[in-house]
Amino acid sequence: MKLIDIIKSANSNLLRNKGRTFLTILAIFIGSFTIIATSGIRTGVNNYIDTQMESAGGEGYIEIMPKALQEIMQSMMSFGSSAPTEYNPETNSTEMTVISEEDLEKIRQIPGIQSVKGARNIEAEYITSAKTDKKYLISPQALPSDRITIDIAEGRMIDIGGSAPEIILQPGYAEVLGYQSDADIVGETIELAVTEQATMQVQLVEVKVVGVLNKSIINMGRSWVNVAAETEILDVLYAHMPESYRNMVMFATAEWDSSLGDEGLEKIKDDLDALGFTGMTFEDQVGMIKSFFDAIILVFTIFGGIALLAASIGIINTLFMAVQERTREIGLMKAMGLGRGKIFLMFSVEAVALGFWGSAIGVGVAYLAKLIINPVAADTFLKDLPGFNLMEFDISMILILVAVVMAIAFLAGTLPARRAAKKDPIEALRYE
Amino acid sequence: MSRLFSKKVLLLLTTCYILVYIMLLNKSILSIKNLTKTYGKKSSAFAALKGVSLDINKGESIAIIGKSGSGKSTLMHILALLDKPTSGSVEIDGVDSNQLSNKELNRLRNRRFGFVFQQFFMNANDTVLNNVILPLKIGGVAIRERKKRAMEALKAVELDDKAKNKAIDLSGGQKQRVCIARALVNNPKVIFADEPTGNLDSATGAAIEDLLFNLNKEKGITLIVVTHDAELAERCQRQLHIKDGQIIAPNADILKKGARV
Repeated sequence: MKLIDIIKSANSNLLRNKGRTFLTILAIFIGSFTIIATSGIRTGVNNYIDTQMESAGGEGYIEIMPKALQEIMQSMMSFGSSAPTEYNPETNSTEMTVISEEDLEKIRQIPGIQSVKGARNIEAEYITSAKTDKKYLISPQALPSDRITIDIAEGRMIDIGGSAPEIILQPGYAEVLGYQSDADIVGETIELAVTEQATMQVQLVEVKVVGVLNKSIINMGRSWVNVAAETEILDVLYAHMPESYRNMVMFATAEWDSSLGDEGLEKIKDDLDALGFTGMTFEDQVGMIKSFFDAIILVFTIFGGIALLAASIGIINTLFMAVQERTREIGLMKAMGLGRGKIFLMFSVEAVALGFWGSAIGVGVAYLAKLIINPVAADTFLKDLPGFNLMEFDISMILILVAVVMAIAFLAGTLPARRAAKKDPIEALRYE
Repeated sequence: MSRLFSKKVLLLLTTCYILVYIMLLNKSILSIKNLTKTYGKKSSAFAALKGVSLDINKGESIAIIGKSGSGKSTLMHILALLDKPTSGSVEIDGVDSNQLSNKELNRLRNRRFGFVFQQFFMNANDTVLNNVILPLKIGGVAIRERKKRAMEALKAVELDDKAKNKAIDLSGGQKQRVCIARALVNNPKVIFADEPTGNLDSATGAAIEDLLFNLNKEKGITLIVVTHDAELAERCQRQLHIKDGQIIAPNADILKKGARV
């Protein structure tokens, strides 16, 4: 018997008991669809993060924070943590949660580190312009390194060391501040209102808009200013206050020699660790977002896997019934000279066909779901993130899934197929 | 070239060739010697066949007759190579079946044997044509060739007009004719018919018998019928009575009716 005939007869045999075949395929479909759809979302999210990383990210810089601060942040994340922790001056003192001038100097001494800049805490009350009376919230932040590439829609990058105060705005401000478009606001001067912390008096700081950012999840709503603008804001913010207050730093950004490679980076991280700091590159931060997301996806994939496991038991059951029903036919075919191997193959191919149809329908329905869900998502909860396709399919991923499901189906099919192959033709022909 | 062989050598070779040819012509298609078949082990052993020897000639029609439990079915199964004897040998065209691998046995059954069963054993929901095609499919015959040969076989049983019908829609006699077409489609040397008329009324049964014996006469297909129908057995050239695992009258010549050499 030729392979093509075996495949054809396996498919037509499946149609003999349509209800049973349909239900078995349905079970495989549910598992395959779950896996394909979640992995589609995973691909969609990862692709989006990757393109964001290309436009906003950059090599050769590392963000530094005190380990004590990181611990506080982590303990805030662990909801309802129970027992009170004993105070330990080595790790818990306020001093340990900030980066002092001496700390910055020590970091600067680490081999491979080229420069360090502490991120001072700057705040603006609101943003406004000469063209409007309205006031809008804004969170400016000093761009610590020009190695951080940012995704600019209009205008240019700020001149970090330049003498004139400059800002790159988040998208959306141009219209509300009375300008026609993003291109229109570039080159204009806007006003940042800053409150003196000591007196609560509001002062206006004039800053020139040099660019507008693209929408992104990675920028987290920050508008970037250069050192000149930062200094002016700090001058207002900490007027009448001690110098030490103004110089308090919780985060720092260091530039490192990226020619040292991953090994050099590990060494730098170890050195930072020894000093009581943690260092994270942009990839590390994105990796955290990704791994958090991957964990959610993993849960769904496991559900899909469990569904497939249950479905494979369905395959075994379906085929055992088929073998029982077709006992005499098996006997007849054996009498007519069909070998054991071919009988085994016939039933395994039937199992594989079940797996194929189940997963293929899963892929098809997932694709339809993508066609429906993506535009809906883009119009609703992903409205502010252009270019974010919620679901995206990777051909190799689909092929792997179909192949894996077919392999699982084959394994499930071996049990009934073996029983069919072992049947004695005489016994089988006598079977009533 | 001719100098390489002297005339004497050529003559000798030709003589040998003719002799071998004559030997092959005369040789029986199936030959069994001292066949025994025992089921079960030691204490509960049951001997279904107790030393049976038999030669079946090409083109012969032979009836194996006996009560149920006599061992006639076992004998047929062993002759059809569906079962293996406990001891003794089965030769097909002079080849000892013990020497053949499973694959060769399957191939042999597929190419040289046809089967007709009392219960038909058809795929009821498939078409008549596909039922007839099955042995060709198993044998790996190309699709076009299959259809052609299946239609020829159906024509031989005068059912070519029913080729597209479902097997389930046929009458009993038509079903058995389809089964004969299926047995015929591989141009077999031997057709094994196990109670071929057992499920049919006498008129239809007679028609089926006619069909089988016509094939036997016209195509020279050896016909081996297992039956306890005396009338059907009478129509065969030779009758083998089996009782308690032995042939009652082993000397076939005595029983031979309408003798033909």
